[in-house]
Amino acid sequence: MKDRFGIGWRPELAAGILANLDRIDIIEVIADDYFDAPKFKCRALRTLARQVPLALHGVSLGMASSAAVEGARLDASARLIEEIEPEFWSEHLAFVRSGGIEIGHLAAPPRTEATIAGAARNLATAKKIVGALPLVENIATLIDPPASAMSEADWTREILAAARCDLLLDLHNLYANAINFGFDPRRYIDRLPRERVRGIHLAGGRWIKAPSSGASRLLDDHLHDVPQAVYELLEYAEEKIPQPLTVVLERDGRYPPMEALLGQLDRARAVLARGRPAAQAEAA
Amino acid sequence: MSADKLEALLARLYADERARSRFLADPRLEARRAGLSDEDSRALEKIDRIGLELAAQSFARKRRSFPPRKPPARLKRWLRLARRARL
Repeated sequence: MKDRFGIGWRPELAAGILANLDRIDIIEVIADDYFDAPKFKCRALRTLARQVPLALHGVSLGMASSAAVEGARLDASARLIEEIEPEFWSEHLAFVRSGGIEIGHLAAPPRTEATIAGAARNLATAKKIVGALPLVENIATLIDPPASAMSEADWTREILAAARCDLLLDLHNLYANAINFGFDPRRYIDRLPRERVRGIHLAGGRWIKAPSSGASRLLDDHLHDVPQAVYELLEYAEEKIPQPLTVVLERDGRYPPMEALLGQLDRARAVLARGRPAAQAEAA
Repeated sequence: MSADKLEALLARLYADERARSRFLADPRLEARRAGLSDEDSRALEKIDRIGLELAAQSFARKRRSFPPRKPPARLKRWLRLARRARL
């Protein structure tokens, strides 16, 4: 096994990805886009998965909640995973709905024993229904979740231990939270069980201002290039994590030329290769 | 049960502007109305107001761009289970 470098599959990038598979080891597809898709679209995805290593990435289950994940959504995930047979699947440590209200995106729940237990229950249910545990991803948040009793690093660590699942470490999410809430992202990485980290997400973001006060926070928007600080975190993570990693670049809009995205992947590849044993670097 | 109630109140604060305004005017009262424990009510009084404003804005943009999807139809689930049962 060696490190792999891939990119999030988006219709706007499809032609560029397919034309550059010699530089892309894996693609990551948003699972939710296919839950109610027509059969031909799912068949096309299955064909793609036979040609390129593929991972499915979920965004709407709401695993990190004291409430149970909706059965119909888990069943849709199971159906899709059964059909596509991805290399692995992943979801976020977030809640996305509660009390009949859809938040509309990934929200950070209070970091408490209750949400740790809820996440462990939800992940166990997911394993039972889908047949495999997802990698779980740390999310970016603009609000410090109220009523939290522990740090994000400790909360994440506790969930990984309770659910016995692996981590998809999003370095831009980590970087944004560290900037917004004043902690050291390197200490966060130090607190993680390094053997549990299997994947890395890279992305970019921008500063936004609160209209009422003018205060700024860093938003993880997937619309900008990966910043230097995130490459530095990748280098730090590489020093701590010896096992091969799957690194995926996420870009959801304001698409630059494909070569610019491939350049960001190449840079990530170079960062990891610097610290890897020579055999792995040669294989890469 | 307070954890469920806390998440439900947070979801409302993130998605409902009027509920958010009411809450910011009197956090303790709204927390009690939502049935939260004293401990959670106290925690909500210290809510990160800048974060709440920015997060709510960001969620609203996401809901406009990508309206939340309903869970896939139960009928499909039933059909799949039936298909499996036949195999």
